[in-house]
Amino acid sequence: MRKPADPVRRGLDVFVDAAPQPQRSGMRLLIALERRPRGRRLLARTHAIDQLANGLVAMGHYEDPVNAVPLGWDADAIAARGRALRREESRL
Amino acid sequence: MNGRRREPRVIDADVCVIGAGAGGAVAAAELAEGGMRVVVLEQGPRHDADRFSARPLEMLARLYRDGGQTTTLGTPPILLPLGRGLGGTTLVNSGTCFRTPPHVLARWRDEFGLGALADEAALDPCFARVEEALSIAEVTPELAGKNAAVARRGAEALGWSHGFLRRNARGCVGSGVCAFGCPTSAKQHVGITYVPRAEAAGAQVIAGADVRHVLVERGQARGVEARLREGGRLEVRAPTVIVACGTIHTPLLLARSGLGRDSGQLGHNLALHPATGAFALMDELVDMAKGVPQSFYIDEFASEGIMFEGVAGPPSYAAMALPLSGRRHAAAMASYRNLAMFGLMVSDRSRGSVRGLAGRPVIRYELQEEDVARFRSGLARMAELFRAAGAREVYLPLPNGVAPERARARDLKLMAFHPLGTARADARPQHGVVDSDLQLHGVRGAYVADGSVVPSSLGVNPQLTIMALATRLAFGLLGRDVPQPAKPGRARARAV
Repeated sequence: MRKPADPVRRGLDVFVDAAPQPQRSGMRLLIALERRPRGRRLLARTHAIDQLANGLVAMGHYEDPVNAVPLGWDADAIAARGRALRREESRL
Repeated sequence: MNGRRREPRVIDADVCVIGAGAGGAVAAAELAEGGMRVVVLEQGPRHDADRFSARPLEMLARLYRDGGQTTTLGTPPILLPLGRGLGGTTLVNSGTCFRTPPHVLARWRDEFGLGALADEAALDPCFARVEEALSIAEVTPELAGKNAAVARRGAEALGWSHGFLRRNARGCVGSGVCAFGCPTSAKQHVGITYVPRAEAAGAQVIAGADVRHVLVERGQARGVEARLREGGRLEVRAPTVIVACGTIHTPLLLARSGLGRDSGQLGHNLALHPATGAFALMDELVDMAKGVPQSFYIDEFASEGIMFEGVAGPPSYAAMALPLSGRRHAAAMASYRNLAMFGLMVSDRSRGSVRGLAGRPVIRYELQEEDVARFRSGLARMAELFRAAGAREVYLPLPNGVAPERARARDLKLMAFHPLGTARADARPQHGVVDSDLQLHGVRGAYVADGSVVPSSLGVNPQLTIMALATRLAFGLLGRDVPQPAKPGRARARAV
């Protein structure tokens, strides 16, 4: 049985799945390389690709509340406040 | 089953509007309130603000076409995020509102023969009407947050012209996620303003309707054919059709319908306002995502085609945009709360094109040398701005060791948010796709009302221009003058 994906991967997977081809396959490849030491060394040879791969994985990492909340960003609290204010003022 | 295609559902209307973004929603509401029977067909979904999670990755996938990953082909490739659903890109933009600068209107008159369209006095009530409808007002310094305060301090130290931006927001609490679905519905995007007005006035708004063709007979619009997401086909019979699918998709629909091609301009003249962002590490706590991300501008270099505007976001957004990798990236992100960010936008002279391939847009755009020079100059000034504000370190979006003055097109890391011009207006049928009334040259009753008709770069955010042009079009179709606003018009910010 496959283990359920961790929240970081889930967020990134949703984002990657929304991309059109061939970007989707390209991003999956970059993410796979970025997560392996040998892959990272390979990516480091090209600045733009290296930053893209690093940025993609980092985006998933910092979407996770475990990493975002210590940096002062609590998405759930922001969303909950928004919902409460909309209800209070009967906004759409 | 006998193998025959099911007959389409048919709706009769006075006007069929395709697309519920900045142009389509405004035109639909004004026409419906003016007494016309209006049908609005929107390809994307109707979004529920209760599901706005303030998580960028999740919201990019949900609110943007292709998850916000539409990209141009060329050097450099440019990310071109486009909104999807009722509200269009107004759902996910930063909310900044500028009127069309007077020198741009002058260019439309002189270069494109658009005297009627670019009549400043005639457009004034259109702008004022939209500004009133969307509660457009200047951001306060408190709401702008500390990220804007950093840029303001730098601009003041250098004596550069600056100001707080005007936005379509009401009751904003600075959630910091304008681009990822405003959780308070403070941003007055057209999906929660003009679309409900259109529906209240009797318009039928159908989400999930993918229009395949605009129907024309003997030079007169007759309606549209669409596929519905839930299955089946829809035909709207209407003598007036307004195409408002946005700058990237409008030329694809027109081309598919065999319309707008006579001038050879359809799909060409694509301007983007390419943009980039830089970071600075400050001693002070910035918390860039607390406050309005785009709240402040610096227009000191507007005459050179360079505009600085605020940009900021939650950690995951910053992590993607931060121009570093490896340990330096991790170290900078560990100091996220001390990071400031600001954006740079170029009023481009480069022009690209869009065409359809297997139903998808192929967007080509090569950044020309004169625009690369604007980025060189802009990035050098961005570093100057942050240093004047007291930055400990500045992170420019360039490869290691490349100074701004030596940057080449391929070194730049660009995004763009303002595609314009692919069905441009020009009074001369051989030079443009639509005329001064935004009607397709040679086709009665078929109009275009989105960024594609804008014939040149604006140098400023285009949503207010698009909405004002749609207002003008709607009142033109109603055969009425645009009512004068209750409140007097406002002063215009200096702009490119």
